[in-house]
This record gives sequence, structure tokens and C-alpha cells, in this order.
Amino acid sequence: MGGVLDFFTNTLGGLWSDSGIHALFAEGGWKNLIMILVSFVFMYLAIAKGFEPLLLLPISFGMLLTNLPMAGLYHPDLWVLVDGHVNYGEVLKEGGLLDILYLGVKLQIYPPLIFLGIGCMTDFSPLIANPKSFLLGAAAQGGIFFTFVVAGLLGFTAAEAGSIAIIGGADGPTAIYVSTRLLTGGGAITTGNIALAAYTYMALVPIIQPPIMKALTSKKERSVKMEQLRTVSKTEKIIFPIAVTIIVSLLVPSAAPLVGMLMFGNLLKESGVAARLIDTAQNALMNIITIFLGVSVGATTKADQIINIKFGGVMLLGVIAFSLGTACGLIFGKIMYKVTGGKVNPLIGSAGVSAVPMAARISQKVGAETDPTNFLLMHAMGPNVAGVIGSAVAAGVLLSVIG
Amino acid sequence: MFSYPVMLADKVLRGTEKLTGTEIISMTLIGLSVVFCALLILVVFLCCSGGFFKKTTVPPKAAPKKEAPKSAPAKAPVKAAVPKAAAPASAAEDDSEVIAVIMAAISAMGAAEGKQYQLRSVRQVSRGGSGRSVWAQAGVLDATRPF
Repeated sequence: MGGVLDFFTNTLGGLWSDSGIHALFAEGGWKNLIMILVSFVFMYLAIAKGFEPLLLLPISFGMLLTNLPMAGLYHPDLWVLVDGHVNYGEVLKEGGLLDILYLGVKLQIYPPLIFLGIGCMTDFSPLIANPKSFLLGAAAQGGIFFTFVVAGLLGFTAAEAGSIAIIGGADGPTAIYVSTRLLTGGGAITTGNIALAAYTYMALVPIIQPPIMKALTSKKERSVKMEQLRTVSKTEKIIFPIAVTIIVSLLVPSAAPLVGMLMFGNLLKESGVAARLIDTAQNALMNIITIFLGVSVGATTKADQIINIKFGGVMLLGVIAFSLGTACGLIFGKIMYKVTGGKVNPLIGSAGVSAVPMAARISQKVGAETDPTNFLLMHAMGPNVAGVIGSAVAAGVLLSVIG
Repeated sequence: MFSYPVMLADKVLRGTEKLTGTEIISMTLIGLSVVFCALLILVVFLCCSGGFFKKTTVPPKAAPKKEAPKSAPAKAPVKAAVPKAAAPASAAEDDSEVIAVIMAAISAMGAAEGKQYQLRSVRQVSRGGSGRSVWAQAGVLDATRPF
């Protein structure tokens, strides 16, 4: 009888020490608890407030799953480089579900596929009709490079500075693509940190941008009504993605996966002969990739890697990057306002940060606040989609220079 | 055939190393220059191709304007009700048939209540400086209000 009792208590003790509840209250378990609470906050924001629910829900649930102790869905130690390489055999053998899904992030498969879907859904007509919009899209990338300066001066390594700076591109897939390539494991900053900051600030674009837009422009500038855009022919729309792919890929080959897939998606759309492929790329494929990307990026937010001072630095520099990008676009917009004799409304410059179509909506909203009869939406879409190409080029530059 | 380590060796900045002042400034200048150059080339390309397509595209001929009658036929006995804060309209833009149909609808609506309306004049409503017609203005407002 005594033996049975001993066996029972030992087994029960073993079960208890292997349980997540025990780990939650063991040393360092409080960090997991905090991250679980943070995931609840994100879920609340997604469900109750409707903040980017398609992304925030998968990310927050991935965050919850990865921070449940002992669940073993994601193992950061499997992704640490050994002799400069990830041991993918070990990942397949020992990895959990989220490790396997994370392969698509680590091998840079998901971001270009997301770009394929975005390409299928994007109309580049406003940009083709007003090519000068490209310059506003380029100017807004100043946020990336000026943040690189700040991060560098604060003592971040080249890879960390590049990954933080790309948050200023206001483009989630690009930020994930760059940070996965640059942050090869072992450091305090992870792809999860960068993605979390990027998506948080993208959701906060309506709060971050308007005060900067109002501070940097006068009422007279904000009330400029722009000329109606010309109609773009179908041939121009078909040539555009092919030309952009060739020009950008020849100039910055590192940007080819992102720009190439974006333009491939757009060519499918504009060609008008691949309805089934467009349907798949912008619906089923996009949705599947969004789920995989969201959950696996959420999984990288392990408590140990998030709750540290460097993540605070990432969040701070992230908002600086967004603000600088907005300011650079607006300042270039003001220059164009002067050069064209008041024909360009500087507000469309802030849409040069990617964040499609949110940034263009904000330009429209702030313009309409000054003059309700002013409609800037289509004019702002030009710099907005130019910003997507611009941030992909900037990402290519970072990847080419930093190793 | 490139291998990953060879590509890494070609990079200017080592990812794991901290940045010096010179590297930071150089990287910023190079980055901004490359982005501007790449997009400037696209601007030049689009301007050239846009100019080419504008030349080759023949603008559609404007449809000849119909001469509208000077006064609209009153389809029903009526007693006036067109907004007074409107600007005078050119008779050429009036479409007598459309006006007649709209008046018929108004008359039918009034008939149910025992009221009668009379059409005295048709005036163009101010475009409010936007350059759009009232219907275009309403359409744009409807499409952009959610933003």
C-alpha cells in the first residue's frame, strides 16, 4: 500500500513540475504572465476596437501560444545560428507547430507572397498619371535612413539599426523580410520585436500622422485643390509592372523578391486574362499567408526576448521612424508646392510612407478638415503606392550593405 | 555560383558590429541617394511613356450639343419650388425631358397630399468652387465620407 502511495505522489509531483502552471510561477514565469496579458490586450484591440484585426488577432494568438510555458509550440534556441547556419534538420525533427510555420518567415517566403496579393489589389493608375508622386514616396523613406542614424548613435549594431530603421517604411512584410535577413539570431532584438513595433505603429497611423501634418503645413497649403488626374490606358498599366520590375531589380537586386512579386501580382490584375489566379492570390493565398505570418511572428514574442530594455528602444525608435517618414514626405510636399506654384497639396507627401491605404486616407481626412470640398484621396494614393516601392528599394539597400 | 558566406563577405557593414560616425553618415547618404535615383529613373520612364501614350491616344470627339428648348413644358399644374439660392443656368444645359419627368414625379407626390406645384424656372446650383457638378460632388462625398 505504501508503494502505491509513493508511486502516486511521485507521479503527481512529476506531473505538477511538468505543468505549465508550475512553470508560470517558477523563476521568470512572471514574464510569460505579462506577455499573456499583453496578448489579451491585443486581442481586445482587435476584436472590440477593430484595430487591424486580420493581423492583430493571429499575432496576439501566436503570442499567447508561445508564452504558455511547456506547450513547446515554438523554440527560439532552434533558430540560433550554428556555424553561420540554422540547423533546419533539427527544426523539422524537434520543432513544434509554430517552428514549422516560422520556416516561411525565416526562409523569406511569406513577405513576397503577401506582396503578390497586395500587387493584385493595388491600382497604380494615380502613380502612372502623376509620376512625380514617386519623389514623395522616395522622400518619405528619409524616415528609414534618419532613424538608422539615431539607432547607430545610440549604440545598436548595424543589423539592429537597419532592422529598427525599416519600421519607418511603415510596411509590415518589408520590416519582417529585412529583420529576418539581418537579425540572424542570438541578439536581444528579434524579428518578433520589429514586427510588433511595425504593426503597432501601422495601426496607430491615424493618431501619429495628423498632428505632424498640421504642425508642418499652413492652412493655405492644406486647402490646395489639385488638378484631376488623367485617365491611364490599359497598355500603360500593363507596361508599368514589367518596367518597374526590370529597373528596380537591375538597380537594387536585393529588392527583387519584394518588388518582383508585387509587380507580378499587379501584372496579373492589369492583364485581365488571369481572373482565377488573381482570385487565388488576393483571397485564399493572401488569407492563408496572413494567418501563417501572423501566428508565427506572434510566436517569436517570447517573454525573454520582449521584456528587456532593448525592446523599449525598438518601440521608441519605431515611433521616431514613423514620425520622421511622415515629416520628410510633408517637407518634400512643401518643396513641390513651392516649385509648382501652389499646384501640389503638401498633405499628400505624408502618404509617402507605405501603410496602404491608411496613410492616403489620413491625407484625405486632414485635407477635408480644412476644406470639405477638397478630395485628395486619389492624389494621395500615388505617393502611397510609390512608398511601397520606395520602402522595398530602401530594404534592398539595407540588405545589400549590411551583412 | 554564389554561396551565402561569399555574399556575406561582400557586405560593407558587418551586422554584428557597432557603427562608426563615418559609416552612419555614409550609409544614410548612400541609402537616400539610391532610393531617389531608382525612383527618379522610374519618374523619367513614366513621363516619357506617358507622353508617348498621350500622343498616340486620340481624344474622343465631343458630342454635338443639343439645343434645348428655352422653357420646360409643365406637365402638371404646379406652384413653384426650385431652390432660390441657385445661380442662373444656361438654357443650353437644360434637358427638357429630364425636367419634365422630375416635375411629373413631384406632381405625383404632391397629388397624394392634395397639393399642386408649378415650375417657374430651372437654375444651376452653385458648384461651390470644386469644379464638379452637383451629382459628381454628391458621388465623391458618398465615396469618401467613410475616410
